[in-house]
Amino acid sequence: MAEQTVLKLDRVSKSFARIERDEITYALGETSLEMRSGEFVSIVGASGCGKSTILRLIAGLIVPTMGAVTVNGQPVDGPDPSRGMVFQKPTLFPWLTVEKNISFSLRIQKKLDGSAEKVERMLRLIGLEEFRDDYPAQLSGGMAQRVALARSLISEPGILLLDEPLGALDAFTRMNMQDEILGMWQGSQQLVIMVTHDVDEAIYMGTRVIVMEARPGRVRAEIPVELDYPRNRSSAQFVGYRNQILEMLHYGAKES
Amino acid sequence: MLNKGQSGRSGNRLVDMRLQGNRPGDADAAGRLTREQLQLLEQRKKTPAQRAMDFVITLLPMLCCLIAVLEYLLVPDRYDNDAPERYLVLLVLPAVIYAVFWAVSLSRLKSTSRLYQRLRYKAPLYAAVFLLLAVFDFATLKTGYLTQPFIPWVNSIINAAIGDWQYLGISTLYTLRLLFLGYFSGVAAGLITGIACGYSQKVRYWVDPIIRILGPIPTATWVPLVMILAASLFGGSVFIVALGTWFAVTIASMTGIANIDRSYFEAARTLGAKGSQLVFRVAIPQAMPSILQGMTQGMSSACVSLMVAEMLGVEAGLGWYITWAKAWAMYNRLFAAIVVICLVFNAVTKSLNLFKKRVLRWQEGMVK
Repeated sequence: MAEQTVLKLDRVSKSFARIERDEITYALGETSLEMRSGEFVSIVGASGCGKSTILRLIAGLIVPTMGAVTVNGQPVDGPDPSRGMVFQKPTLFPWLTVEKNISFSLRIQKKLDGSAEKVERMLRLIGLEEFRDDYPAQLSGGMAQRVALARSLISEPGILLLDEPLGALDAFTRMNMQDEILGMWQGSQQLVIMVTHDVDEAIYMGTRVIVMEARPGRVRAEIPVELDYPRNRSSAQFVGYRNQILEMLHYGAKES
Repeated sequence: MLNKGQSGRSGNRLVDMRLQGNRPGDADAAGRLTREQLQLLEQRKKTPAQRAMDFVITLLPMLCCLIAVLEYLLVPDRYDNDAPERYLVLLVLPAVIYAVFWAVSLSRLKSTSRLYQRLRYKAPLYAAVFLLLAVFDFATLKTGYLTQPFIPWVNSIINAAIGDWQYLGISTLYTLRLLFLGYFSGVAAGLITGIACGYSQKVRYWVDPIIRILGPIPTATWVPLVMILAASLFGGSVFIVALGTWFAVTIASMTGIANIDRSYFEAARTLGAKGSQLVFRVAIPQAMPSILQGMTQGMSSACVSLMVAEMLGVEAGLGWYITWAKAWAMYNRLFAAIVVICLVFNAVTKSLNLFKKRVLRWQEGMVK
């Protein structure tokens, strides 16, 4: 994890063939992006703008129609634990305890050396040591999402992909989790890429906000957020960023 | 900190006071309520009349046992009855065990309140069983209202079971052997085809029509054919038992795998799972509830085809014992075999349920 990771999307586009009608959906138009270790990139946009598609391309869950996704020059070929992903639904395996869910990735890769200590550290990190033997059905939404985070982080991924990870949580849990995720990121050299539809969240967390537009999905603007952490949601600069982005998304105050 | 402790303690005293109004029981040392205490607090208080009624009801099984014993001893027998004391043991032993539990539950110790509630719940059922036994004995041994010798009285069934225990035991072992061999090979084959069908479109294309056409035919239908074709009678009967199980498990695991939530696969793949790991670590565990349901269905189908196979062709096992006893008009042995079948199949189903509970303890609602 010490080495610098450079992620490049080189003129990537993605289209899906619709099954029911003889139609092609252009999910993502030609897009080029570059991100590197230590960045926290937020991607905002209305639904259907291809923001999740970008994450899934980087994760390797889907293959680009044109162009290439590369990590340190190596093309992405299928999913890999070095690119961890957390989904909007926690997708914890309900038949495994919290502890087994967290260690899933290590067990599957047969990296069992020191796995007990790693699991221990993760449980401490998310503050759920007492719940190690519980099953996901017993956890609250916020707890489940913390476990999902730990499950990805245990492989020490250089790139962490967050696909609206806080979308299903209540407002208070959400704000707490934002700070927790920021804390985890600040303690590492990771590249975190987070998709969200919450403009405030994007500005509060990101070092850079990528604003996307729909039909076809494309990048409208890249806005570096030059504010120190922890950020004040009601400061003038913060509100300035918010207005700028909302305007780009056509939700800005209309001039009469 | 101090404040908290005090308020906790005084709150606890309140609880104790209310509990004394009902059945007593102290909250544990930590001051937490047990589940029964909580129930007692929340339910409406029982009137003295209701509590007296509960007490009488818990007495009923012993009373009814007494009635059954008196009926057996005092009404004159119409038929010869060997070793009459055996039925008495069967009657009195459970009643004595019940009486012991009953006495313990009255001791008003903390942990016995739940036992008392349980006894109160079960008492009418136990009482009815004793009454039924008394009526049955009256209608058979005492009067012959139920035609003799086709419906033997309980003591003669006991005598038959004890007198013929070796033969009955061997038959039971044969039945169990056939059941387990057939059942487990059926489950194994069913898992393989079911999971393959659920996973691969190609396999399903070829297997699905076979299941659709052959599935609705009851497996017992094949018995005569298999008896002729099979190289060995035993192999044939294993096949018959396995067939029904195979069918049930195949369908269940196929639907189980086909209905899997795709997002679990994506999550597993980003965590590094590939190929067969996706099958064994994600697909099968997730389809497990469905698979186990198929296994339960398969068990009942296996039991049915087992009996049919034994009655029609196989010359061993409890099914064969029943036809044999019928042929020699030994109806008490026939009934003894039926009782053993009831016990065996109950035990098998019960252990399967325990297994199911253990494997599926992660499911919502199953989780404590």
